[in-house]
Amino acid sequence: MRKKTAGILVAALIAAFALSYGWGADEEKIVVMNPRGIMPEIRKIPMAPRPATLDGRTVYIVDTKYPNTKPFVEELFAALKEKYPKTNWVLRDKFAGYMDDDPKLWAEIKEKEACAIVLVGH
Amino acid sequence: MGVPSVPMITQRFEELVTTIAYKKGIPNMRITYTPHPITDRPAELCRQYVAGNDPLTGRPMLEEIYDSLTRPLSAEDAKAGFLKRDPRPRLIGPDTRDKLMEYFHEQGFTDGNPVILPTEEKVDEMLKATSRERDEWVGQMRPSPPHEAWYYTVEMVAVNAVMAGAKPDYFPTILALASKGVTSLFSSTSSFARMAVVNGPIVEEIGMNTGIGALGPMSRPNSSIGRSWTLISKNLGGSGKPGETYLGSQGNQLNYNNLCFPETETGLPEGWKPLHVQKGFDSSDSVVSIFSGWSINDIAWYSPLPIHEVIRGWLENFFSFGVSQATLILDPIVAADVASKGFASKEAYARYLADNTGTPGWLYWSEHPKELKQAESGVEPYAGWLKRGKDTVVPVSRYKGGRRGSSSFLASKDTNEPTTSIEIVVTGGGTNTFWSGGDFGYVGSASVDHWR
Repeated sequence: MRKKTAGILVAALIAAFALSYGWGADEEKIVVMNPRGIMPEIRKIPMAPRPATLDGRTVYIVDTKYPNTKPFVEELFAALKEKYPKTNWVLRDKFAGYMDDDPKLWAEIKEKEACAIVLVGH
Repeated sequence: MGVPSVPMITQRFEELVTTIAYKKGIPNMRITYTPHPITDRPAELCRQYVAGNDPLTGRPMLEEIYDSLTRPLSAEDAKAGFLKRDPRPRLIGPDTRDKLMEYFHEQGFTDGNPVILPTEEKVDEMLKATSRERDEWVGQMRPSPPHEAWYYTVEMVAVNAVMAGAKPDYFPTILALASKGVTSLFSSTSSFARMAVVNGPIVEEIGMNTGIGALGPMSRPNSSIGRSWTLISKNLGGSGKPGETYLGSQGNQLNYNNLCFPETETGLPEGWKPLHVQKGFDSSDSVVSIFSGWSINDIAWYSPLPIHEVIRGWLENFFSFGVSQATLILDPIVAADVASKGFASKEAYARYLADNTGTPGWLYWSEHPKELKQAESGVEPYAGWLKRGKDTVVPVSRYKGGRRGSSSFLASKDTNEPTTSIEIVVTGGGTNTFWSGGDFGYVGSASVDHWR
């Protein structure tokens, strides 16, 4: 009887110890709130129809003017002109810095029904 | 815009550009990649790049461009409609705390350190600190201009405030920060840092540390308000995913708590206005102000020179990102020393600094090739400057004009002093004559009282 009482006491002590130190708490399941914000809808933009050939067409090479990338842009321009001579390749600097928009240039390209290569650094 | 086009991107940014293309609604955008980087490469190497292959597809670069501009569209390419987004459940779980913590880390919800799991009870407790409705919109935020903006409510800000370890008392300040819609993790290859300065009665109310160690990890409100901004930027502003929504090459340690500290208004010399008053608020208003920059120097140096001259000398030679803005964080002892030399206001000292700092020669001439040519052709005043030696300081201040596109450098209303791009904030415990300075510029301020 004394052994049994002692056993119960030890078990109770272990349980109390375990509870006080949070043993088993990790097994408790909880629900938490989502920290993420709301993403906007994405409207799909159909791509512009492609011409069958670039012969006789104008293609703008738009340099966004990322610092010190001019040699690459000029080499690209020269290589395209040489490889595809029937295309009218136009090299143009975008207005202002590489982070700035240039709606006038985009309108010009569209008006001329041209194609565009837009170069971005780095 | 209805124009057949092909962007050319360096291969390092594949993840960024495909993600942005998706978010802009063109998931199948035809992109040609070049080797990385193309900046600062000699013409001969560029010629090889152009004659070579797209490093990602392995196809000849020029042929790929031609093909991208002429290949007929697939049915999918030509389709309109909406693209799929991940659903956003309001609640996550149930699961054990350990597993939820791991999930938060895996999802990128954290700053890499453990967070307080945002149970509904804790979030409700946070929400009691504001009169605002939990569903009220607070703002929108994006990693940088090309990226989409995400939107968030008062409740969503509260979730992140809980995660950062903030007490409910801090919540109006955190809401004010969030309301500015400025990410603390700006996506640029240069690794931006941010700074948040708190002014007004709220500082004492919530027990911010204005004394010893104000800039260090010594105070729960200083630390957790700053940390909240990082978590808000990640979770509500869609920022901070390396390669996709964060491009800082080395990253920035300051982003952990965004240099969040209060100004020691009781330590301001007579006549020196607190930052929020300089920006048009009343001294009784509680305000949080945001700064943007990259780096901060902690200057601990004894000198026979008067301290206002030491600061001038540092500012003249300071260089980080080539920007023309600076913020000085002065210990109250330093502020008092500067004021004792006759500078009756922060603006007066900023004006003195702008008027009496030049630009190191190596920096000036490297950034002004046109002027260098003029100097070499004998055009004055450039020729005279160059004659003194290419490394000699050029008498052109970098801090006179104020920062373009910002209202931040307007002169204070009652002095009409000309603008400078130098800000001055006072904080610290007055244990020594030390100060900090960096390339931070003022972005804007928000009323904390508005969010109580």
